[in-house]
Amino acid sequence: MAATASSAASNPVSGAASGQASHASATLDSILLDLAGDRATGSLRVGKHGTVYLDEGRISYVECATTPSVEEILTASGRATVTRIRAIRQSASSAAPANGSAGGPANAAPAGAALPNGGELLVRQGVLSRGELQFCVLGATLDAAYFLLPERPGRPRFKAGDRHWLGTHWFFDIPGLLLDCQKRKARLDRVWPSAEVDICPVTPVKRLQRGGHVVLSALQWEVLAEADGATPPIALAHRIRRPVYATLLAVRELAASGLVTGAQQPAKSELPRRTGGSGPRPGAGGGPGHHAPAMPQVSGDPADIQLLIRLRDALEALR
Amino acid sequence: MTGIIECLVDAMSIPGTVSAILIDPTGATPVAAEGALNAEQSAIGLSEAFRAAMEGVAQASAGDPIRIEDMIIKSSAGMHIIHPLETMFGGPYLLCLRLDADRANLALAWRRLQSLSNRLIDV
Repeated sequence: MAATASSAASNPVSGAASGQASHASATLDSILLDLAGDRATGSLRVGKHGTVYLDEGRISYVECATTPSVEEILTASGRATVTRIRAIRQSASSAAPANGSAGGPANAAPAGAALPNGGELLVRQGVLSRGELQFCVLGATLDAAYFLLPERPGRPRFKAGDRHWLGTHWFFDIPGLLLDCQKRKARLDRVWPSAEVDICPVTPVKRLQRGGHVVLSALQWEVLAEADGATPPIALAHRIRRPVYATLLAVRELAASGLVTGAQQPAKSELPRRTGGSGPRPGAGGGPGHHAPAMPQVSGDPADIQLLIRLRDALEALR
Repeated sequence: MTGIIECLVDAMSIPGTVSAILIDPTGATPVAAEGALNAEQSAIGLSEAFRAAMEGVAQASAGDPIRIEDMIIKSSAGMHIIHPLETMFGGPYLLCLRLDADRANLALAWRRLQSLSNRLIDV
């Protein structure tokens, strides 16, 4: 398979058998960890979902069809026009072959120094500062990685030496990025365990169930202000120019506080699962043979579910 | 024109600074760290502290939109400054300094951190 051919060629240690045979069924995680072990540089195209760019075994940028790219962030924020980005991209691409085809690191260094990459050009032309460029790459990559890395690619294609036109402006070590994705997934489920709200149109409730007042984060406010009862969270995120993951999180938080409908409340089977150690303590709520429930009976009422979630969070915080 | 790493290296030169970390609180992930013994654990703890403060302060000032500009925590072992950085996309990221109680001057460290963070974001 073309996937690892070139990286295997440049680094005999990555045995053909271990790399190629497993690729078709391997998870993206294991392919990336292999590439990290080989200190590979190039791009890994994950079907039509997106592309992971690597620089010496570390991730330098991730693009995903679900999340905005750096180009989109810059144009949406008004920092640069599409035309200007295209011009910079073209002058960077014309410089790229000298970088890419040089092959050996010894040859690549002087060529790279003479010809600035796209990101460097953006900074030099005053479109954004170096710090802003790094934050832009950071924000886009963390958001894209969350949606791209769990994909089960049919046949990812690795193109050795391929670089993104922006160049490398931040490094993500692969295990660290995978851990970040896991933590983000866990946080979503902790806030509101049903993934249904991730795809339903965001619909604010017309009336608060218990009156009183609510406290919103800036992002929750933006989500509610833009919600029209027809737009699902991912499209909403693009419209308010916010990261898609952060928008999903805000929507789940709103669902947990009972501020958006559109999602049916999770069925009983989807209630937060007990984790080890959080179950009823032996002896609590009556002895053996005492069949009365230790907790009040739960209805499907969202208020009950929210109460349970808050209760669980509070109990977990005590541990 | 500084980048993230240069900003953290500069932060380490502030008298009394023990560690400087940039955190993405969304995933409680350390983006970059200088001088931190356990950046992973610090990122989780500081993200949680910031989130709790944000919620708590919002509850306590109902009716007024609030924004935390800096969070300063004085402990028996030293001091922490947590400075949120708003960026074009994503964030806020947290720029966190840990200061030694005996060697650091809080006011000085705070001023220096502000100018460092401004340099990081400004064109």
